[in-house]
Amino acid sequence: MNVLDQLRAPGAIRVEFQPIVSVNGSGTNLYAYEALARGPRNTSMERPDVLFEFARRKSVEAEIDLLCIREVLAAAATLPGQPSISINLHGSTLTNVTTFADTFIHLAGSYGIGPERLMLEIVEHRAPWSMDILRATLDELRAAGVRIALDDLGVAASNYRMIVDCRPDHLKIDRYIVSGCSIDPYRLAVLRSIVTLAQSCAAIPIAEGVEEQQDLDTILDLGIDKVQGWIFGRSKPASEIANLERTTS
Amino acid sequence: MNKQRLLIIDDEETILHALERYFRRIGYVVDCARELEEAEALATYTEYSLVIADLSLSGCGFEGLEILRYLRWNCPNARVILLTAHGAPHVEREAYRRGAHALLHKPRPLADIARIAASLTRGGVA
Repeated sequence: MNVLDQLRAPGAIRVEFQPIVSVNGSGTNLYAYEALARGPRNTSMERPDVLFEFARRKSVEAEIDLLCIREVLAAAATLPGQPSISINLHGSTLTNVTTFADTFIHLAGSYGIGPERLMLEIVEHRAPWSMDILRATLDELRAAGVRIALDDLGVAASNYRMIVDCRPDHLKIDRYIVSGCSIDPYRLAVLRSIVTLAQSCAAIPIAEGVEEQQDLDTILDLGIDKVQGWIFGRSKPASEIANLERTTS
Repeated sequence: MNKQRLLIIDDEETILHALERYFRRIGYVVDCARELEEAEALATYTEYSLVIADLSLSGCGFEGLEILRYLRWNCPNARVILLTAHGAPHVEREAYRRGAHALLHKPRPLADIARIAASLTRGGVA
């Protein structure tokens, strides 16, 4: 069986959820879970970066995105409470899958997940082919209540063009910019500019990859209060989150 | 001591796993790929010191030459050993031209491949 067929096999894609928290004076609240899709255990596809790079190199981004979305929604339906769920996908999937918005919203609905609980994190490595379709799809998603985030801001192809084209509700700042920001004036300068950019675009910034208290303090001082990273918890399968919830409640 | 990170690329599962087991046993950190795109995806995010690749992944092409081109730009420090069952002289010349450090004919004892690998990663020549 080739690698692609392995990924297509039922149950091959596994999903874990990492909390995105909102930090305020009195503590932290769960803001959303980011769903992290992984390929089969003990294969190269277990690493999400390798999985999606493979999909891009095979030009099957849309197929892999849809496989992952289906698994994410199925797993998310078993999470306790009604948390918001953030799901990664390629910008090209928005334009290359016919009636993506409709398909996505109906699929989520079939798992009992309303669009207002959903956020799509757009990661892009090449510009979508049809800007008209991209805009129309994003408008349809937003009108239904789905929030749009731009992933990996500050690195790779997540650039100003993507902000102009996608008009995101959230800017997810890549860990490369976040990690070490407390001691690096250049990272700090980039973060400051992103905060200003977010304010101007009415977007909410989210800092990814926060692992050190000093970096967290710096980020909070800058006014970024949505945070994701090991400092607030590693990713876990939905079943583990549900078990933890049961034992602590 | 830092372990050497090795990428093995072969579409034949038995050869792939024999190489994987052997090199793990002698202390390498090993990743495996069965297809060109899988190997490229791994090499995009991992710094390998050594790559052992079958010259012909599909049995009818020379994908090993393609991976050489990719590694040259994305993993420039990797030493590359190509394995081939039937390499024509012009293909072998092309492999060296594209940056292969050794081209070995199959079958070849694993200990032999390991000896050449160790020599290459120490900065020697095959």
